[in-house]
Amino acid sequence: MLNTKTKSILKKIQIFISVMGPGIITANVDNDAGGITTYSMAGAHFGYALLWSFIPIIFVLIVIQEMASRMAVVTGKGLADLIREEMGVKVTFYAMVVLILANIGNVMAEFAGIAASADLFGINRPVLIVLSALFVWWLVVKGNYKSVEKVFLVACIFYVSYIISGFITRPDWSEVARETVRPTLQLDKVYLVMLIGLIGTTIAPWMQFYQQASVVEKGIKLKDYAYHRLDVIIGAFIVNIVAFFIVVVCASTLFKHGVMVETAKDAALALKPLAGDYCYMLFAFGLFNASLFAASILPLSTAYSVCEGMGWELGVNKHFREAPQFYSLYTGIIILGAVFILIPNISLVKIMFFSQVANGLLLPFVLILMLRLVNNKRLMGEFVNSRVYNMVAWLTVVLMIALSLALLFFIWVPG
Amino acid sequence: MALANQMPNFMFVYFSELQGVSVVDSDNKPQGVLYDIIIEPLGKYARSRTLIVEAGGFRKSWAPVDWSGISEITKGLIRLNLAASDLKFSRSVNNRSDLSLRQDILDQQVVDTNNQNVIRVNDIQFLQAKQDLVVAHVDIGMRGIVRRLGFEKFIDPLVRIFNKNSEYLNKPSFIPWKHIQPLSINPVSKTIKVDVSQNQLREIPAADLSEIMQDLAPQDRLALFKVLDLHTKSQLFATLDFKEQKSLLEDLSEKEAVEILNNIPKDEAADFLGELPEGTVNKILGLMESKSAKMLSKLLGYSEESAGGLMTTEYIAVPDTATIEQALKIVREKTLKAETIQNIFIVDKENHLVGSTMLRRLIIANPPDEVIKAALKKTVKIHVEDDVKRIALLMDKYKMNALPVVDASDILLGIITMDDIFSRLVAIAWRRAKRKIQL
Repeated sequence: MLNTKTKSILKKIQIFISVMGPGIITANVDNDAGGITTYSMAGAHFGYALLWSFIPIIFVLIVIQEMASRMAVVTGKGLADLIREEMGVKVTFYAMVVLILANIGNVMAEFAGIAASADLFGINRPVLIVLSALFVWWLVVKGNYKSVEKVFLVACIFYVSYIISGFITRPDWSEVARETVRPTLQLDKVYLVMLIGLIGTTIAPWMQFYQQASVVEKGIKLKDYAYHRLDVIIGAFIVNIVAFFIVVVCASTLFKHGVMVETAKDAALALKPLAGDYCYMLFAFGLFNASLFAASILPLSTAYSVCEGMGWELGVNKHFREAPQFYSLYTGIIILGAVFILIPNISLVKIMFFSQVANGLLLPFVLILMLRLVNNKRLMGEFVNSRVYNMVAWLTVVLMIALSLALLFFIWVPG
Repeated sequence: MALANQMPNFMFVYFSELQGVSVVDSDNKPQGVLYDIIIEPLGKYARSRTLIVEAGGFRKSWAPVDWSGISEITKGLIRLNLAASDLKFSRSVNNRSDLSLRQDILDQQVVDTNNQNVIRVNDIQFLQAKQDLVVAHVDIGMRGIVRRLGFEKFIDPLVRIFNKNSEYLNKPSFIPWKHIQPLSINPVSKTIKVDVSQNQLREIPAADLSEIMQDLAPQDRLALFKVLDLHTKSQLFATLDFKEQKSLLEDLSEKEAVEILNNIPKDEAADFLGELPEGTVNKILGLMESKSAKMLSKLLGYSEESAGGLMTTEYIAVPDTATIEQALKIVREKTLKAETIQNIFIVDKENHLVGSTMLRRLIIANPPDEVIKAALKKTVKIHVEDDVKRIALLMDKYKMNALPVVDASDILLGIITMDDIFSRLVAIAWRRAKRKIQL
């Protein structure tokens, strides 16, 4: 016989498992090609100097993701839906233009990741790109995404290799700890770009749209919300722990030997202490999975948000004639992302990195919209933001704008 | 001046053309801009009732103006016949239970009851006669978006160059107001604000309504569901799949939920309850009408794929002692509740199945005769344990739309109708077809 206490704990675990998903999946998609590249570069080029940023990033990520989830649970509507209903066509239109541009950049980064892993696997680049593009398109349009999602998620176990490497490479843990808690800000162009990229890749604008949509789709109810919040928090920790270890490993291998990440091959070297000469294969596998996972989600999530906001028919269960805008957007984003990467001799690492910087630059605008919605009493009732939440979120907006302006300043005023 | 007289005394104007137009008082002093309009549904149309003026830059405030306070309204200027002191500005827009264009119609999702789908409103078109504004159409087309964005001046000529006869220019996507059902939720009753005088929702069949609801946010879905009558509610409930049914019942009050379960066909209710954990089922059964609950708990005991699991207990049975006339009277009384009235079953005192007949046979028979005289030659029956295939075979062989279900001692337990079997067969056929495709 189970006593009532274990019974109620079991019941709670059961509820948690039933609402679990959106937070953890979003988190794993977040560690995409752009993410892996940016974290690798941050470690390889700056050593431990950027580790401190993960503490504020994890806070802000939880706050923002929680806002999106709360809006989803309370209103039952997607982010684009709410922007349209509360702020009208104009704001929606420009927000959607921003989202499309940012996500074309992100999809390019995913295909760049696929191209880079093709190089490492020793496969012909265009072949793998075209095959992947077709696969992604087919996967979603034929409605098979859900069954493949689990494969992607399981393959995310790859990130554990960074955590193991983190211990094998024997970094100076006391230095790591010191750099993690001591914020250092270097006022130069390269450092600022890296910081914005780091924030942009971890707290990307698309994530808020995607997270809110998946919570709505999951139909999580207000009474189970506390459990879902745990899902968000676990997700945020997964992203940041993986990112943290990528930086530490790259710092204690690449940075120590002065290797700059210019190709995926350089980034793969960070896994050499763990995998020896197989490090290229291991890295290629992880990068390929991450890229394909995100490439399956980003174009679809973009097309959904845009059609939802503009009031166009949407959904993969509709025919092209019923939902022309939806399919054009979805297909167009995949084609644009893939075709661009087919250009010979293009620098894949640069694409993966600068798309994330673009995410960082655009983040404050999405945040402002979210803050205005989540504080709307008519929509959210008693579930508007608390003061602490608003402070954290607005501070993020101000800091991101300040960082962007500082970056502009350093670009225009050389030296 | 002659020209002015020939101008028609009514014209069309868009809400987007009026939004932000400056409002002046009777002394020609600017008081703010048009922010919103409150409308009052009147049969097929909706008349503008109150104007909301917005004033202030950073700290905004709003004032309602009754329509009688307006002396002139054009795309360039709105003139009031009120003095500045008559405008009561406050820091909140207080019109929560009224129908506001900005909060409830523009940019929102509404139901088009004619085409029976959910649409998003891009603009609103008024018919203007002097200063009266009547809502005529909502614009759901691309051109509405372009107009709102202020791109009409560039896009329209551009489209004209490429294709003079394009749908964009010549076929406005307007939906007449009379077909629009707003989905805005009344904050007090938590139901949608329906216009009772033209309840178009009632005209939509439950199956279509169910499809409309798939496109809505859960809150809107619930608010829409609540305004339906019990009959439609029950029909609609039966069209949902288990997950949706469960989610819906969780959001309803216990009373509403039980009311629906009491009202849907017993086999549907049993299907639903069969998926729930036992504790919950017992709780629900305890709340239901005792007669329904008793039948349901019986139905729940049978396997889902057997005759017992598929049958319904809403059939018409007449005692073998009755005359044709009495039997017809029973049929008349039970018509509303029964799943079918074509097939009528004859039972003895212990409810043993004695025979079966058809309504047609009763009608043409001699009223004073015993009912057994109208019985079919052969009483085809199904055993509770029989499976779908066997039931289908029997129905096909004897060309019967409904068959009685009996237990080992021939006691009538319920009936199975063609549509119950048909949906199972479709599912089986579909599974098979799918397996073939995968091979």
